Amino acid sequence: MVNFTTDEIRTIMDNKLNIRNMSVIAHVDHGKSTLTDSLVGKAGIIAAAKAGETRFTDTRKDEQERCITIKSTAISLYYELNKDDLQYIKQDRDPEGNPHFLINLIDSPGHVDFSSEVTAALRVTDGALVVVDCVSGVCVQTETVLRQAIAERIKPVLFMNKMDLALLTLQIEKEDLYQTFQRIIESINVIIATYSHESNPMGNIDVDPKKGTVGFGSGLHGWAFTLKDFAKMYVKKFGISEEKLTKRLWGDNFYNAKEKKWYKEQSQGERGFTQYILSPIYQIFDTCMKATKDDALKFAEKIGVKLTVEEKELEQKQLLKTMMRKWLPAGDALLQMIVFHLPSPVTAQKYRCEMLYEGPMDDKCALAVKACDPNGELMMYISKMVPTSDKGRFYAFGRVFSGTVKTGQKVRIMGPNYVPGKKEDLYEKSIQRTILMMGRYVEPIEDVPCGNICGLVGVDQYLIKTGTISTFKDAHNMRVMKFSVSPVVRVAVECQNPSDLPKLVEGLKRLAKSDPMVQCTIEESGEHIIAGAGELHLEICLKDLEEDHACIPIKKSDPVVSYRETVSEESNIMCLSKSPNKHNRLYMKARPLPEGCPEAIDNGDVTPRQEMKERAKYLAEHFDMDVGECRKIWCFGPEGMGPNLLMDVTKGVQYLNEIKDSCVAGFQWATKEGVLCEENVRGVRFDLHDVTLHADAIHRGGGQIIPTARRCLYACMLTAEPRIMEPVYLVEIQCPEVAVGGIFTCLNKRRGVVFENNQIGHTPQFLVKAYLPVNESFGFTGDLRSHTGGQAFPQCVFDHWQILPGNPMETSSKPGEVVTTTRKRKGLKEGVPSLDNYLDKL
Amino acid sequence: MASSEAFSSSGEDVISRKIDILPCLKTNKSVDIDTVCELQKCVTWIKSHGFSRVALQFPDELLHIAVALVTQLQTRLESVKVFILGDTSYGSCCVDEVAAQHYFADSIIHFGHSCLSPTRLLPVLYIFGQEPLDVQDCAEQISKLLPDPATKLILMYETVYHYAIGCLSERLSKQYKNLVLSQLVIPGEGCPDSEGDKPLKQTGQSVDQSDNGVCLCKCGRKIFLSKQTVLGDFTVLYIGGESATLTNLIFSFKECLFFTYNARDRIARKENVNVNKMLMKRYFMIEKAKDANIIGILIGTLGVSQYLDILSRLQELLKNAGKKSYTFVVGKINVPKLANFMEVDVFVLVACPENTLLDSSEFYKPVVTPYEMEIACNINQEWTGDFITDFHQILPGGSHYVEMRTEDEMTTDVSLISGKLRTIGTGDTPETGTMILPRSETLAVTTVQAQSAGEYLSSRSWQGLEKKTGETPIVKAVEGHHGIAMGYEQEPIT
Repeated sequence: MVNFTTDEIRTIMDNKLNIRNMSVIAHVDHGKSTLTDSLVGKAGIIAAAKAGETRFTDTRKDEQERCITIKSTAISLYYELNKDDLQYIKQDRDPEGNPHFLINLIDSPGHVDFSSEVTAALRVTDGALVVVDCVSGVCVQTETVLRQAIAERIKPVLFMNKMDLALLTLQIEKEDLYQTFQRIIESINVIIATYSHESNPMGNIDVDPKKGTVGFGSGLHGWAFTLKDFAKMYVKKFGISEEKLTKRLWGDNFYNAKEKKWYKEQSQGERGFTQYILSPIYQIFDTCMKATKDDALKFAEKIGVKLTVEEKELEQKQLLKTMMRKWLPAGDALLQMIVFHLPSPVTAQKYRCEMLYEGPMDDKCALAVKACDPNGELMMYISKMVPTSDKGRFYAFGRVFSGTVKTGQKVRIMGPNYVPGKKEDLYEKSIQRTILMMGRYVEPIEDVPCGNICGLVGVDQYLIKTGTISTFKDAHNMRVMKFSVSPVVRVAVECQNPSDLPKLVEGLKRLAKSDPMVQCTIEESGEHIIAGAGELHLEICLKDLEEDHACIPIKKSDPVVSYRETVSEESNIMCLSKSPNKHNRLYMKARPLPEGCPEAIDNGDVTPRQEMKERAKYLAEHFDMDVGECRKIWCFGPEGMGPNLLMDVTKGVQYLNEIKDSCVAGFQWATKEGVLCEENVRGVRFDLHDVTLHADAIHRGGGQIIPTARRCLYACMLTAEPRIMEPVYLVEIQCPEVAVGGIFTCLNKRRGVVFENNQIGHTPQFLVKAYLPVNESFGFTGDLRSHTGGQAFPQCVFDHWQILPGNPMETSSKPGEVVTTTRKRKGLKEGVPSLDNYLDKL
Repeated sequence: MASSEAFSSSGEDVISRKIDILPCLKTNKSVDIDTVCELQKCVTWIKSHGFSRVALQFPDELLHIAVALVTQLQTRLESVKVFILGDTSYGSCCVDEVAAQHYFADSIIHFGHSCLSPTRLLPVLYIFGQEPLDVQDCAEQISKLLPDPATKLILMYETVYHYAIGCLSERLSKQYKNLVLSQLVIPGEGCPDSEGDKPLKQTGQSVDQSDNGVCLCKCGRKIFLSKQTVLGDFTVLYIGGESATLTNLIFSFKECLFFTYNARDRIARKENVNVNKMLMKRYFMIEKAKDANIIGILIGTLGVSQYLDILSRLQELLKNAGKKSYTFVVGKINVPKLANFMEVDVFVLVACPENTLLDSSEFYKPVVTPYEMEIACNINQEWTGDFITDFHQILPGGSHYVEMRTEDEMTTDVSLISGKLRTIGTGDTPETGTMILPRSETLAVTTVQAQSAGEYLSSRSWQGLEKKTGETPIVKAVEGHHGIAMGYEQEPIT
């Protein structure tokens, strides 16, 4: 480290107005990590000359090899602003004019499979640098991550990357380039407008070059600028204020050099942006690449770039890079943009608190978070776990929202299932050490005040993946993160030798901890399942498992898709099941939940925790369900919260309240393991119509009712035209027009349905959107590449569940095959058990 | 009149229950009870030991010959009281000492299939019975399946073929040079042919090293392996059909390939059981056991020796692991009986090796074996891939006995089944908040796992009879039901 020490950072950590926590987000391959490098270069951790080549934040070997970011990485940067520039900070700023800034930056992966890393990064930051490749424009993942950022109340600024590519390779005309920029900004603002509510407490968060919230440049070459940088250069020439000039340099402002006047019409002169910003840049490119070296060196002098003797020896592209980097250093432009426009923790926590904290807004914690008070109660959110060199141990990585976290401090560690006043998921332990995390390095630090991001040693074993850390006895949890992707692709893993089972299980636990999204489970059949967001995600997880976590050879199965069981009609008969002692009878029927209702439950619009009347009203309004019935929802399932309902529609039944717990238990059991192939049930409401119970309590106990309820629910499903649901991806493919045909062929073969096919603006690129069953998606990327000559790159995100057409009871049908193979995999008896196993006669 | 019925049912259903009768005895009425049941052996045994009260234990499928047998025995032994034991509460493979003690019996003769578990108190004579075995056919079919005469073969069999095994092994040893015959280790008798070695340990499993090789005792079978060979090289030939015995053997000899010859259907085949898959399933059970807070210890035997020792060991183990345990004696285990105890997360079944492996997939809560519980709770007990069905092995003196140790500090890890954190060991629990939280009315189901049955009860929506004083109208006493709960007199018959 050349430029700063831990002590210096610690000093600046106290100055919460001078802290910026930000993440870098973008579509895959839009150049986040490369751009981040130029920032790191500026902050002085690695030599400036290596920026653009090292991908500092890609800490893993495979990340470096594949040139793709897999894990989000945090680094702290230190930036000293010119005292004159402090005026540009519009939010609360340090009254003493302290120019030292600490920027905690998180570089996140762009590939959709690793979106969960982005979510985790966004949670602990307040601002986002949205990077867009100006050649490809706004892509699918740009939209996804931006949407998430806005939902988390993260303020965005925009950076147009890869200008070098536009100029050197594609040789785009100046005016066209301006138009491209304009379009990208518009699309970004459309997304922002779509997802931000009107009463957005962040204020107007549109990006606008005139306001300085849009930067331009090339991360690879290490140069960047905002309009302000050029306005400063020209302020003398035009003799108007910098502020006014900045506004002229964007939009329909045309300068007539002869009349020395600005016009609104293009016919009257040259556009400010193209004439005074793009022209000089184009000129440098031209002189460096085409003209003689002398011309180039002369030009360098003209724009005030001083080159060393060695640098003058450089040729063409290298010379160009050096000149641009010296003229418009990327670090300065970006860091200024970040410092000026992204909020400090003080600004951000005021409006983010209500989104972050589950407890009342006037308790000690909420007040401390809102005020960002380092002397208040400690509130820290752990967003992810980072593996240490010590096998099986992790750093808990997160953000201190209030108070100060110290080495040796005794804290309450609260997991996502913690409920205030209960002991579940609550541990009281001491923090062994607090650490600063900077890319590949960690630095121990005595304590960290609020507003900062840091790591903790010694709390990992008390958390699953995320959690809240507090010193306040009555603290509530900080809200859990919502991911935009779900783990739908699954493989079963097996160890060669059963004696290795403990190692495998231990490895799976570590894997589950190290990744915010991956789910590792053991199924009833004894299979060990790893579920990830996509094929790439799984591939990385399996590699990690084998090499780092379990360290044993692992056999993996073909991808396994998880299915759901549902019904398509109302049960055609009233289903009756008798208890083993024949003295209790349950009468039930099943029918599908109204369309959209399961999703509402998934999204938390309808939850078991809601007030009963409020929930009934919501259900009645949105799904046209009967209010009276909706007030008698016994429970949700499986796991007490899934998208199935057990409803009591009985009238005046004696002892009904006594068997409620037993029915609920049977319902949880039956919805967790459906009748067809023991997959989860989805989107079914079960109505309990009538019961007859034995007069003696002993004969209507759990033992009699639970198995009976389960049998009856199974009968209900079998009589209600059961169906299998499969997960479906939303696929977005960007490609040139010629490739569209190949995409259609590919999708058709795989039961894909195209629902949108548009040209992107005026570019020759097309965007195809389609639904593709997850089951058919394996190898899709490769197949698509071969059909389109490598021009199409799909992005798949889980979108919804869809009924697989056909009757699962017929073994020859598609869902029938699914049932058969799933039953076989799970080691169940062949064939769905027949109805008479569950249905009794009166 | 009705009072006597109030406490018991008429027993009609027991009488009308259908039982599979062993085919040999069913088809051939004139079967010679004398030979099949080795009457002479019984008589000699009783006389030589001078027993005066002898209990005869029959499995259900042999009950029909019981009367004839008792009559014959009684005529031969005039001074001795011989009687038939009623239905056993647990597996009929185990000796029911408790029932025999009720009648002050001083010895038991156990008929039919046996799991050969060591017993505690009374001297026992095992009469396995005899089922026809076509030695010729068996040898022919086996030679088709295993044509290589160099195959290393261990011959095992269901106890009912004990009488004919000498004949079969003689026939097979002509064909296979490396045939090893397993011998039954009959509790109380010591190993036959053991030439006056030390008496067999109570545990029923042991490995004795001698100069010539290894003598292996597992699952009531004894095998002598010469020095140059290891168990993994052998193929097991099992005479008998699919049964708990076979499953138990496959688990215990998991390194061997299994071939079976079913003498009833005359079919020889290779057993395609994937032991790895089975072990993975059992490992899932271990994980379930680790997850559980409340454990029900089910007593599934009253005859197998040391069952009280394993009970107290389990209780101590669970206590050290910070789990709450309750002990249940419910007789024969079935789904409704266990589902009555909703608060129990996992049951652990103490039973003989053959009955301990219960397929609990239809049960509301899983049932595990003591060995599995031991792995789940005792850090010292490591999973090696071996599977122990005989609980004696984890008691002091057994082959898998290790000191009990659970971490003093509470350790936490993540469960791969529930995805939640779980703790092992007892430790201090953090202070909970001071706020009083109203119980949410709408939150009907708590997904929170209870630590004890009391805590579970408090989370239930219905906790027993409610007084509702003043809320319900006062009515005069009315006449109630008559009869027993299973079917009151005025109730319509269903």
